[in-house]
Amino acid sequence: MLLDLSAWRILLQAVADAWAENVERFSEIDSAYGDGDHGVTMGKIARLISREVGSPGATGETPGDATTIKQVLRRIGNGVMAIGGGSAGPLYGTLFLGLAAPLDPGAQATDAATLAAMIVGARAELSTITKARVGDKTMVDALAPAAEAAWEARGDGIVAVLGAAAQAAAEGADATANMIARFGRARSYGEQTVGTPDAGALSTSLLFKGLNDGLAKLGRA
Amino acid sequence: MRMKKFMNAPENLTAELLEGLVASHGDLIELGADNMVINRKLPGADRVTIVTQGGAGHEPALSGFVGEGMVDISVVGDIFAAPGPQACVDAIKLADKGKGVLYVVLNHAGDMLTGNLTMRQLEEYPEIKCVKVVTQEDVSNAPRSNSDDRRGLVGCIPTYKIAGAAAAEGKSLDEVAAIAQRFADNMATLAVAVRGATHPSTGAALADMGEDEMEIGMGQHGEGGGGRQPMKTADETADIMVQALLDDLSIEPGEKVMLILNGAGATTLMELFIIYRECEKYLESKGVEIVARFVGELLTVQEQAGFQMFMARMDEELLRYWDAPCLTPYLTKV
Repeated sequence: MLLDLSAWRILLQAVADAWAENVERFSEIDSAYGDGDHGVTMGKIARLISREVGSPGATGETPGDATTIKQVLRRIGNGVMAIGGGSAGPLYGTLFLGLAAPLDPGAQATDAATLAAMIVGARAELSTITKARVGDKTMVDALAPAAEAAWEARGDGIVAVLGAAAQAAAEGADATANMIARFGRARSYGEQTVGTPDAGALSTSLLFKGLNDGLAKLGRA
Repeated sequence: MRMKKFMNAPENLTAELLEGLVASHGDLIELGADNMVINRKLPGADRVTIVTQGGAGHEPALSGFVGEGMVDISVVGDIFAAPGPQACVDAIKLADKGKGVLYVVLNHAGDMLTGNLTMRQLEEYPEIKCVKVVTQEDVSNAPRSNSDDRRGLVGCIPTYKIAGAAAAEGKSLDEVAAIAQRFADNMATLAVAVRGATHPSTGAALADMGEDEMEIGMGQHGEGGGGRQPMKTADETADIMVQALLDDLSIEPGEKVMLILNGAGATTLMELFIIYRECEKYLESKGVEIVARFVGELLTVQEQAGFQMFMARMDEELLRYWDAPCLTPYLTKV
């Protein structure tokens, strides 16, 4: 199985849907130990993705004019970077540019190994702009285990890669509930943050859930 | 809880407030692309220029200080959220008049990410000289030895003033940056809150405080600072905070300071004056002279009740720059 451009559009739309559905949850967590705007930003990012990949049937909008997977991901990355969403804009913008980085400009489809390399690329790119590590209660707690799991499953097919990444990301995000925030605004609250998961780790785990949901949708189509 | 704010659609807050800010001060500032607020005199500037960035919702900061003698372009993000790096790169390119650009960034996670990405992208334009100065002066969330963890609070505003005056005097970029950095290295802020604000985009409470509580150290988005305690009188609160700032800056008797009381949005000038009067008395008792002062609202946090107390060690040169003329919507000196 390979993921071509139209398959990627479906996967990315599913990511946008997963984020759009959880806007209030993001804001609720962020209000407890931050400034309460993570939902607003993720909602904006979701709309930006929908505009880029949306099919006329689903959103009433025509897809962007990108002709390669790399182009789509780079357009999303640059768009998200410019969204003015506090930390989340540059962080998710960088993540999407990292997903695009390992792709050949002309690549028309991605296989399991490329997909795993893309997720590893996202982790690597993010590490160029934040020093956050696993355990610091940030999105890295979802992204780093997802990248490791995806890389280990790279020989087992696309379904295995995304399934493993989604599961590892979800477990990583859950584990942030027991951590003390060491980055971002939640850091000011220190030990008080124990008991609440990190909003960014949650949105990152839903990125992988969305990719996985999109894949399931693709299988049914 | 229902939010009682005069607004239209939450998603239009930033655009509409900037439209109003610029419309009400059209002689001094204009609105550029990507939520840039631009000094109308920028086109004729033959000097180092000053660019800053930050989220909206803190009015009059940051864009209310765009104008002659302070900021040339302020790049505005969304409510409490930093703008993206591309807009900042564009602003720095637009601001540069061949003498270089001082880029002032407040130490908050999103602003720092944007600041770092902006500087990285600027490497593609070697003809533009840009120096970034970070304001990080909140004494509540890290010791001075770990200043990279200190949040940037109201201290950005006097930093703009000092840097703007040095630029207006014709100093080089390196000189302006060194002066701004010297001032920034010698400033400290402590905030106190008695009631939290609501996020205007979401209606969510930013901090939930008990009726008889105050919190010393609260950040400017309602983030906690750890100093929650029973409500105290104005004089007691002033004394605690002034002493904390003196300790942090290691101010000795005989030294001169700037003192700013910055209302957070819902604290009255009545209260700020009562506090200020005690600050003067307390500092006098310690042999410290206030040579520069401001009482009022520079950087607010919506309807948060409380204030930020800012202190900076002053010398003759810094005082001269603070007293130099400026003409901006919310700070004018003649």
